[in-house]
Amino acid sequence: MRRMFSGACLLLLAATVGGAAESTQTGRAIDFNRDIRPILSNNCFKCHGPDAGERKAGLRLDVRDHALRAADSGTLAIVPGKPDESELVRRVFAHDDDQMPPADSNKRLTDAEKALLKEWIAAGVPWQEHWSFIAPRRPALPSVTRADWPRNAIDRFIVARIEAEKLSPSPAADRQILARRLSLDLTGLPPTPDEVDAFANDGAADAYERLVDRLLESPRFGERMAQEWLDAARFADTNGYHIDNGRDMSLWRAWVIDACNRNMPFDEFTVEQLAGDLLPNPTRDQLIASGFNRNHMINFEGGAIPEEYHTAYIVDRVNTTGTVWLGLTVACTQCHDHKYDPLTQKEFYQLFAFFNNVPENGLDGRQGNSEPLIKVPTPEGQQKLAELAEAIAALERELDAPNDTLDAAQAEWEKGMAGGTDSDQKDGKKGPPKPVREALAAPAESRTDGQRATLRRHFREHVNSELKPRFETLGKLRAQQAQVDKAIPTAMVMREMPAPRDTFLLVRGQYDKHGEKVTAGVPAFLPPLPDGRAANRLGLARWLVAPEHPLTARVIVNRYWQMLFGTGLVKTAEDFGSQGERPSHPELLDWLATEFRESGWNVKHLLRLMVTSATYRQSSVTTEASLQADPENRLLARMSRLRLPAEAIRDQALAAGGLLDGRIGGLSVSPYQPPGLWEELMSREDGANWTAQVYIQSHGIDLYRRTMYTFWKRTSPPPTLSTFDAPDREVCTVRRARTNTPLQALILLNDPTYLEAARKLAERLLGHPGTTDERLALAFRLVLARLPNDREANVMRRVVEEQRATFRADHDAALKLLSVGESPRDERFEPAELAAWATAASVLLNLDEAITRN
Amino acid sequence: MAIQPALSQFLTRRAFFGRTAAGIGTAALASLLNDRLFAGGTLDALHFAPKAKHVIYLFMSGGPSHIDLFDYKPALKSHHGEELPASIRMGQRVTGMTSGQKSFPCVAPMFEFKQHGQCGAWVSELLPNVAEIVDDVAIVKSLHTEAINHDPATTYIMTGAQQPGRPSVGGWLSYGIGSENENLPAFLVMISQGSGNKTDQPIFSRLWGSGFLPTQHQGVRLHSGHDPVLYLSDPPGIDRTTRRRMLDGVGDLNRLAAESFGDPEINTRIAQYEMAYRMQASVPELTDLSQETQDTLDAYGIDDKGTDGGFARNCLLARRMVERGVRFVQLMHRGWDQHGGLPTQIRGQCRDVDRPSAALVADLKARGLLDETLVVWGGEFGRTVYSQGQLTKDNYGRDHHGRCFTMWFAGGGIKPGISYGETDDYCYNIVRDGVHIHDLNATLLHCLGIDHTRLTFRFQGRDFRLTDVHGEVVKPLLA
Repeated sequence: MRRMFSGACLLLLAATVGGAAESTQTGRAIDFNRDIRPILSNNCFKCHGPDAGERKAGLRLDVRDHALRAADSGTLAIVPGKPDESELVRRVFAHDDDQMPPADSNKRLTDAEKALLKEWIAAGVPWQEHWSFIAPRRPALPSVTRADWPRNAIDRFIVARIEAEKLSPSPAADRQILARRLSLDLTGLPPTPDEVDAFANDGAADAYERLVDRLLESPRFGERMAQEWLDAARFADTNGYHIDNGRDMSLWRAWVIDACNRNMPFDEFTVEQLAGDLLPNPTRDQLIASGFNRNHMINFEGGAIPEEYHTAYIVDRVNTTGTVWLGLTVACTQCHDHKYDPLTQKEFYQLFAFFNNVPENGLDGRQGNSEPLIKVPTPEGQQKLAELAEAIAALERELDAPNDTLDAAQAEWEKGMAGGTDSDQKDGKKGPPKPVREALAAPAESRTDGQRATLRRHFREHVNSELKPRFETLGKLRAQQAQVDKAIPTAMVMREMPAPRDTFLLVRGQYDKHGEKVTAGVPAFLPPLPDGRAANRLGLARWLVAPEHPLTARVIVNRYWQMLFGTGLVKTAEDFGSQGERPSHPELLDWLATEFRESGWNVKHLLRLMVTSATYRQSSVTTEASLQADPENRLLARMSRLRLPAEAIRDQALAAGGLLDGRIGGLSVSPYQPPGLWEELMSREDGANWTAQVYIQSHGIDLYRRTMYTFWKRTSPPPTLSTFDAPDREVCTVRRARTNTPLQALILLNDPTYLEAARKLAERLLGHPGTTDERLALAFRLVLARLPNDREANVMRRVVEEQRATFRADHDAALKLLSVGESPRDERFEPAELAAWATAASVLLNLDEAITRN
Repeated sequence: MAIQPALSQFLTRRAFFGRTAAGIGTAALASLLNDRLFAGGTLDALHFAPKAKHVIYLFMSGGPSHIDLFDYKPALKSHHGEELPASIRMGQRVTGMTSGQKSFPCVAPMFEFKQHGQCGAWVSELLPNVAEIVDDVAIVKSLHTEAINHDPATTYIMTGAQQPGRPSVGGWLSYGIGSENENLPAFLVMISQGSGNKTDQPIFSRLWGSGFLPTQHQGVRLHSGHDPVLYLSDPPGIDRTTRRRMLDGVGDLNRLAAESFGDPEINTRIAQYEMAYRMQASVPELTDLSQETQDTLDAYGIDDKGTDGGFARNCLLARRMVERGVRFVQLMHRGWDQHGGLPTQIRGQCRDVDRPSAALVADLKARGLLDETLVVWGGEFGRTVYSQGQLTKDNYGRDHHGRCFTMWFAGGGIKPGISYGETDDYCYNIVRDGVHIHDLNATLLHCLGIDHTRLTFRFQGRDFRLTDVHGEVVKPLLA
């Protein structure tokens, strides 16, 4: 069946491509999407593309039918088969004012591009729809010369291309490297020496696959996957914008970790986060999941106008959804039709309408989490509340119970009050409250039960003093109840208002310039909402993961590929539109997308495929020849070396030092940070009114939690993380930079986090009985998951000896260095010796190899 | 090391800095060709001959009152206390802080204005020292912005967009033309706390952020005290010799790794560690004012009492930075948000900045650096002519006002001794030669030899630029 499909697909392709004449420029038949669309998109679409408002001369070049029509002037830009009669050809070859693109566009066609356009017209203007807008079909596996190299389908596509480019794949990396590569990629943590040994010594044929399975089942897997998702979800611990006070979405984060660990199918993962609240009888977890779209910033600057920010939040939801699932730059259409892709401004606001029905206000970011939210007590909290409620109820029963003495006294009191129930009594004392007065005024026999209870309670609490201590106890219990209730964690969630808000197209994207009224809907160039699906968020979510959707599966598998291989098959992971980069391996992308979908959106299955491929297992050794042949390594004839993400760099140091705290989930923590960073930015006199203005450092094990739990303040993100390219989380990010700067060196050399980790690592080494060489071997294994070679051991011996001499000569210096960090120093070890080894450990933590995944 | 032609072509500086998430170390190879790792930007060549090589941006965070400082309107005295005419306000939106106000009484400044210099510029008595340098300065009275609140307005003027996510001006310059000094970052930021108003507005790292540009282009914040740059100092117990030996160990092992893995990124890492080591000397040298004469310290008004919130010291540091080739120096002086108690507050703010700002321009000029350094002074918007809160004999406040405000410019390519743009008698609307903040940024880039339409970065399929799709160079401002 699959083969028939792909056969049909190829035929279709051949038919649309038309003339198969070879291009003199590329030496291959012209392929519109590969050869022509990028030229037109980058140089022409801005004025002759989808944006009707900006279109010049009545010429539209992004749709074939339009491109062949006469322009306003009556001339034909394109006459199929006749380049000499095509105005487009004349204009792109012109050197005068007629030249296209015009000089002031800052665009210039190369000679090769001009020639290609001419050849394309000569070939009859073959056309294809933009590749990513056509649903992927599972392609046939290419045949390859190296028939025994591929381990799975991925490798067939990769090696076919490698062979076509006359390159050779690299040999497999050795087992130590593979163990570290897999562990860092799948769990974000380095392997322990025992884990490396177990794998290195495992003679079974499926040793590698079993290692993969073990890592996929590790609870650390969910944390690693969640870390990627937090960037996309613009998760942070503060509300952002102006005051940027604290919020707490840790329950949502814990949900993500758990969902990843349970291998929740990605379609469910999508639906619960976009519309968990709209599922039938949603569970508490599904409500928490819907908080995905509450992670955006929320403002409350004093003079701000609520509608302006309410609009900004919804725009953020549309843009984030567009980037994360569609891989489309829908943000461009907030103000005008898209310049490159067939998305109209009206369609932007149709997407906007899906997210416009939340009972929220524009300036809700005043105090922590804002409505709509749910309370999520911990089991302990819930038990405490139940106990309090029971104690209060019991006490109330006691206080209301019949009591002959008190009842008689009450009757006396009532008599005394008869006729004297003015609000204020003559002696100036405040009279009883209105309900009591009313009850007293009523004849005793015709009082309601409620009035009787009111009178009884009033008398016992305020008139008679016998029960005073009991009422005081009641007051305390109630106060305690309020306190416990207030401390209950909350989660911001999505909720629909009973009556939806009207949505309007906003002229030039401005919140206060309403255009035509629109209703929720999906872009016309994509499949319609599935039959029977309401045009609400739930319908939108189901639409995104519908089998016929051309984008979602591709966009998602591409990001997983990016995570493992460093660069996506589509390098522009955030843009699969006309201006995005074409996939390096289009068939592989489609194969993976269909496999992912047909596997039931099974993420672990997808990742297992990727990491068990021969492609992934290759050595990352680079030769001058391979570097020249493929500097960016897009062909993957070797594995890429990748600098670790910011989080993994710190986690690894904590793990090597034996400091890492393994608790999963929970509140964010505040590890070491230089003083004053937040305080320098906050409002000095107003600051005390808000949370997260003053940095309050954590202590104890909270200093050593995994870095993904570090408190993320958007207007002043953790400097050690942002220096290693972590985003500020103000907006959705799906691709981090990987820079290499001196400020990174300063962090690894001097940040107390790394100095303390080095000291604890040194204590581990000194606690290990053995020679210097044996300790060095352990140090290498703990940081790099391998043994040193002779030359490396020589260098390290020299470092240890030099530092030992230094610190023996300066005992105080040793003690000072060892005092860095709050964990106690192990006093069993001589300070000079420990300081020497701590410095040696610091050398290892600073190595390029340490912060790189080979 | 011999580089094949095809490869060296790949390794243009464009490839070096344009690269973001690519897995391979082209940056590293470029660094072998040119070890100036902070230096170099993405532009192969400047678009035209630059007038300025550096920018010192004295950012007055909060929005200084143009009415009380520069935009002198004698006629306003006669309108003092009168309701702002509807013909002037024209239904314009106001912030949530005064939108509920029943009355909008005009307030004439309670400060004296005089003409100064050859050019005869009017300056408030609050700025006696700035008044002395007006012949070196272009005062622009017709800046305008759409934003009316701090967060969007500061984000707008510093990044070209009201919503977060775009690179800052300095980030663009770091990306475009890099630094002239291989031992210092291209883009440095210093913050000082105004003494006039401690209920100041928060500021945000996005104002010196790199947005979607690679993160090495974010401004590096300089702090006073122990570590001018975060984590710059060696830890206690580690002296320079110990550090050097330790780094030699790191370098030796990294070189062995470079041999076995062949990844040029490792060579970059080696070079970055050497750079870090050099920065540990170059930054303290930069921030050490002990070599400055007492006359210089006095001229800036550095008294070490900190009454100016650190602004004077930062101004002197700014001069030292441009002397050393730093491209973009951004000073953030806080406290200019005078909603109430304006007369008292603005006196304090002006006391902080008047003398150092003027001294900076004079000092640059005396050292022959003003020609190549563009100095910019101003905030995110101006303030309303009407009083926020009650107008009394000696007290008033002013709300945010984006329709016009004043900034001044000096040096690097700017025509000195001129006043540009004009507002109406109420300092409320522009009547001549408006300068949008996109125009300001276009002009700023122009002074540095950059066509603002051609310094672009492809992100989300679009070639983004600082001025978005707007901005005209203000030619009459150019020398």
